[in-house]
Amino acid sequence: MSDLEAWRAKAAAWCESVVPQFGKAARKGLTVEEDLALGRRYQSAKFDAGFAGINWPTELGGQGLGHIEKITFEAEEMKHGFPNVYFGISLGMPVPVLMQFGSDREFVKERVIKALKGEEIWCQLFSEPSGGTDLAGLRTRAETDGNGWKINGQKVWTSWAQYSDYGVIVVRTDPTVAKHKGLTYFWVDMKAPGVTVRPIKLAGGDSHVNEVFFDDVKISDDHRMSPVGGGFAVALTTLMIERYVATDSAGFGPHLDLFVDLAKELTLNGKPAIEDGRIRQQIARNYAMRAGLDSINRRARLMMQAGMTPGPEGSLNKLVAVRSRQKLSELALDLQGTDAFLFDEHLSPKDDWATSWINAPTGRIAGGSDETLLNTIAERILGLPQDHRPDKGVPFNQIPA
Amino acid sequence: MSILYDEGQEAIATESRRALEARMNKDDLLPLLQSSGKYHDGFWAMAKEQGWTALALPEEHGGLALGLVELGLIAHQAGRTLSGAPFLTSSFGVAKAIELYGSDAQKARWLPALAGGEAIGAVAFASGPAPLPEQPVVTLTDDRLDGVAAGVSGGLFADVALVFANGPGMPVLALADLSGVGRSVVESFDNSRCIADIAFAATPAETLVVGEAARAAALGILSLQAVVTAHEQTGGAEALMEVARDYAVTRKAFGQPIGAFQSIKHRIAELYGLVELARANCVHAASREGQPDFITAAAAARLSATEAYDTAARDCVQIHGGIGVTWEIGLHLHMRRARTLALEQGSSLFWEDVLVDRLAGEAA
Repeated sequence: MSDLEAWRAKAAAWCESVVPQFGKAARKGLTVEEDLALGRRYQSAKFDAGFAGINWPTELGGQGLGHIEKITFEAEEMKHGFPNVYFGISLGMPVPVLMQFGSDREFVKERVIKALKGEEIWCQLFSEPSGGTDLAGLRTRAETDGNGWKINGQKVWTSWAQYSDYGVIVVRTDPTVAKHKGLTYFWVDMKAPGVTVRPIKLAGGDSHVNEVFFDDVKISDDHRMSPVGGGFAVALTTLMIERYVATDSAGFGPHLDLFVDLAKELTLNGKPAIEDGRIRQQIARNYAMRAGLDSINRRARLMMQAGMTPGPEGSLNKLVAVRSRQKLSELALDLQGTDAFLFDEHLSPKDDWATSWINAPTGRIAGGSDETLLNTIAERILGLPQDHRPDKGVPFNQIPA
Repeated sequence: MSILYDEGQEAIATESRRALEARMNKDDLLPLLQSSGKYHDGFWAMAKEQGWTALALPEEHGGLALGLVELGLIAHQAGRTLSGAPFLTSSFGVAKAIELYGSDAQKARWLPALAGGEAIGAVAFASGPAPLPEQPVVTLTDDRLDGVAAGVSGGLFADVALVFANGPGMPVLALADLSGVGRSVVESFDNSRCIADIAFAATPAETLVVGEAARAAALGILSLQAVVTAHEQTGGAEALMEVARDYAVTRKAFGQPIGAFQSIKHRIAELYGLVELARANCVHAASREGQPDFITAAAAARLSATEAYDTAARDCVQIHGGIGVTWEIGLHLHMRRARTLALEQGSSLFWEDVLVDRLAGEAA
């Protein structure tokens, strides 16, 4: 058994062992607050067992292992539906950025360990009503105020802000230069006076994203994590961190065998649905697509294991998988006919077709819409021209709103 | 077998690409379309010279003892340059059937010749729309074949055929020497495939597998060929994606390269997705040869490769506008080949059923 296989076995065994405490059955019927509390206990147990911060430095509470060990653990973890979603953003981007750019190392160490144990949660304050995909178009501003800064403006789509202790934020500090040159990157205390968090209820019924308002929020200059005017580069670093995460070719929706089971149970025009050519074609096409993604992901893991950098084809997962999940979920509802009307928003999108269907659009938008991803593939991988950008090089305060 | 190519495999890809790009060009391929019953001699000579015909066959019979992964790499490159002859896949299929099911005498007679490319193999399984028919039209009685195997790719020049026939009350997989059979050329939209109707008339044949095992064996051989073909399709799709990209960055309209229009750039980005999914499925399938899930993996590779090549052909021509439909620029060569390869080894309709039967636990 290779070292990695031994690691996988150890990870799988630990995950199995905590299923009674933290698995799907244990979470059933909990309110979000109860589930979050369970999640904090899960994160703490994970820390104690040596599975938190797997590829982070040991001096900051991590395990000092590689990225491959991290995604190997996550692949095992993903099988059980543990309450870890609250920490995904926190440990995925803001905390690694803090590790890299935070200047007060004692403070950094304390925050990182508390985040790893689930005691503190960080959010990422990037998107704004006027700057989502166009990140550099943001309008929240910070002005110098004594020996610190004063923040005013509004962020939106901020995941888990209502439960966050801290956040990283990009704001405009100079409106007289080209839009991406006037940005600066800070961290903020989410409990500071002037910070208001208002949850947004989404189509699927949950409220994990928020609007966050900043009214004269004062921060000292030691909260700054980039040079003044150098925030865009740090923001890009945030977005580039750990491009390879544990992916799911089902687009985080139901696995294809559930669809096959459904088609075997139900009839269509008096015949088993599994014998219907339209249904068969969708099963086959979806299988071929998902198998392709699985193979791409397996190859990426092997490459990382061999010390190589995986190819750019890893970027296809979200684009292709979530799109197909949306359509397959529609078809699953079609198959059930009016029986599909019965809806329970608390069911998991991983095994309920209606929940999968109503939440699929979020997956196609969050983290880059299909259109953004296609532009990225076209421009970064294939070398096609950039879109026309009339605001290029124009000082921010001269761009027509 | 890993799904990560090693250095030797990378070298095979690089070397075959170099050789093919140096010797294959569309001006040699275009005339083949207007002359029935010719293939690209240069391509086949190169295949023999470079040892591609021997690549995946056993050493004791003149082969190089490499496998489906390596052959797939060659096929991918051959697909990029529109190979020029249909034998690479079918000769391999016939040789594999002899290797797996043949007698020592059959192996000695055919394998070295197939490995050296002196003998050409053809595979006659299909009957019209059915790649593996319930009732094959060719019959086998007392070791003799009768009936017409229609639309056999490479059939015009093949020396030996692997035939799925209707034996006495059961299917059989048989091997027939084609030296005495009647053949007529099928005029096709892709004439370089040397497609023929082969008329068996009391043609002596040797039985390789009998009964339901023959159907399973035929599906196994078809799957091997499908994986090689899927690599070829993926190569063709990849080449078209690159041609479309290159055209989109140079051709200008309304004062800018047409690749700056999202309708064009997104179309090409979608092709990238199809090509990479097909490539990933091909690599995976090649690495599963001999494993219980091989046919499932082959079906997935086949489906995604067919989709990639057909879509790339459609979209690449569309992106080129008027110039794309001219005889001279030659994009129609890829259009033709995409459709030909989509039909050889069974269409998507067939492979969808094969795949779903397996996923739904209804495999024969």
